[in-house]
Amino acid sequence: MNTAVVLGRYIPLDSPVHRMDPRAKIAAMFAFLISLFIDVGFIGYAILGVIVFAGVLAAKLKPSYIWRAFKPMMIMMVFLMILNFYAIRTGYVMFSIFGWNIYSDAVFQTLYIVLRLLLMINATTLVTATTKPMDMTIAIEDLLSPLKAVGFPAHDVAMMISIALRFIPTLLEESQRIMKAQASRGVDLEEGKFMEKIMAILSLIVPLFVSSYQKADDLANAMEARGYDPDAKRVRYRRLKMRLSDWMLVIGMNLVLAGIIVLKVVL
Amino acid sequence: MAITFRKVNFIYSEGTPFSYHALKDIDLNITLGKVTAIIGATGSGKSTMVQHLNALLVPTEGEVEVGDHTIKAKAKNKNLKDLRKHVGLVFQFPEYQLFEETILKDVAFGPKNFGCTEEEANQRAKDALKVVGIPDDYYDRSPLDLSGGQKRRVAIAGILAMRPEVLVLDEPTAGLDPAGTKSMMQLFLDYNRKAGNTVILVTHNMDQVLKYCDEVVAVKDGRIAAHTDVKSFFRDPSIMEGTNMNPPFIIRFEELLKEKGFALKDTYGDPDSLAKAISKEMKR
Repeated sequence: MNTAVVLGRYIPLDSPVHRMDPRAKIAAMFAFLISLFIDVGFIGYAILGVIVFAGVLAAKLKPSYIWRAFKPMMIMMVFLMILNFYAIRTGYVMFSIFGWNIYSDAVFQTLYIVLRLLLMINATTLVTATTKPMDMTIAIEDLLSPLKAVGFPAHDVAMMISIALRFIPTLLEESQRIMKAQASRGVDLEEGKFMEKIMAILSLIVPLFVSSYQKADDLANAMEARGYDPDAKRVRYRRLKMRLSDWMLVIGMNLVLAGIIVLKVVL
Repeated sequence: MAITFRKVNFIYSEGTPFSYHALKDIDLNITLGKVTAIIGATGSGKSTMVQHLNALLVPTEGEVEVGDHTIKAKAKNKNLKDLRKHVGLVFQFPEYQLFEETILKDVAFGPKNFGCTEEEANQRAKDALKVVGIPDDYYDRSPLDLSGGQKRRVAIAGILAMRPEVLVLDEPTAGLDPAGTKSMMQLFLDYNRKAGNTVILVTHNMDQVLKYCDEVVAVKDGRIAAHTDVKSFFRDPSIMEGTNMNPPFIIRFEELLKEKGFALKDTYGDPDSLAKAISKEMKR
């Protein structure tokens, strides 16, 4: 329905990456992101770029999909570029526009940040596009469970995340319904004076709030009626299992991280 | 003013994997000044169809003509606000559209949007609230504190206050108790009979169709399966087949009588004339 929202959307395909344990994917993603922030120059980015590219290929994701995930970042990148060109005045003068000197460090710095951002988006998109939201929450709960020892409510947090994810489409549908109902009463979001626009937005937000609270109430009652107790010990219908390939991914990615740290020290 | 659909097709999310062909070549002419029922199974396209009447949905192909307005596919349609002033649409479970601080303000919201002055809008709101049976000591209460049935009344008053010539209702009585349903239906009938307005009613309830409507449009899989007056609609049981709906209670009763060898000449549909026919048959 909404092609603009690509970031974080699950793409149901059958691929080795889709079948992997979500915990392994999240752990590998973290190792990847840490490696990304260790500055070893363009060699590091080249290595990480190859890894993420291989991941996208293995996941059978279309390049156009990844490209669409980049799109919303474009404005930010252009903004970064202008800021850098303006602020950084070191290195040699590469070229000048309208009498404004652009320094080499500014160009390299911008390139650096842009590459880093692109790789970051690419890696996170790869994980979210290949992992079902429900699997993701189970994985988050599992990964956070060691923190239970210090009183961190891992299960509650995971439950909250999964409920929030579950209600995104419901609330989208609801807001569309309310918009139509108010449009029938003459609400016009595009035209009108400032005060009329405020009124129009109010006429959407108030009903949306009312129905969200109502839904939350209903859900709480339904959960309680089924005997939900956040502190109870529970078993799971879906069990995650780390296979050899999952361990290989996590270990491999950590080796890459170690390698990059070594590179950093040597350089 | 006339309401005409010409070769209307509507496809949800066209060009995506989620695309769904909801309306297929709809040609329809809705008679003005009557109560028309639109019936069909869930997912048959009823709601999609009525949302074309005030251009909440625009056809993917074809055109819809409502009065002076023609809504064409793939064109920039202007003056939608004026169209929506003439065609009032009440959605299913309309209580969620309430948002103002007081009931009176909420009902006056529609008329004000369509250019009424504050006073005029308030007057219309009071009239509409009287019609739906909300007493005047309620005017300054919050609409969100009302009971479900009262909320529904206030929401419908919000559309009635716009005084649309065409009133479209998408299952207005869903979830109401029998008494509430009856008074609500009487209200819509009065809106048609007393003021001469057109009422279009999406419903699942065949007893309502029989009792309150003049014409029936049956929708099946996005196509018009039938469009006739109510009496002839119920005379031909084959139309109902495959729509997943049962004929009204009294019609089923008549059919059972006929099955048992009762010689009924016609389809009566109302208890009085059926009783007379039965007693006449008994005397023979």
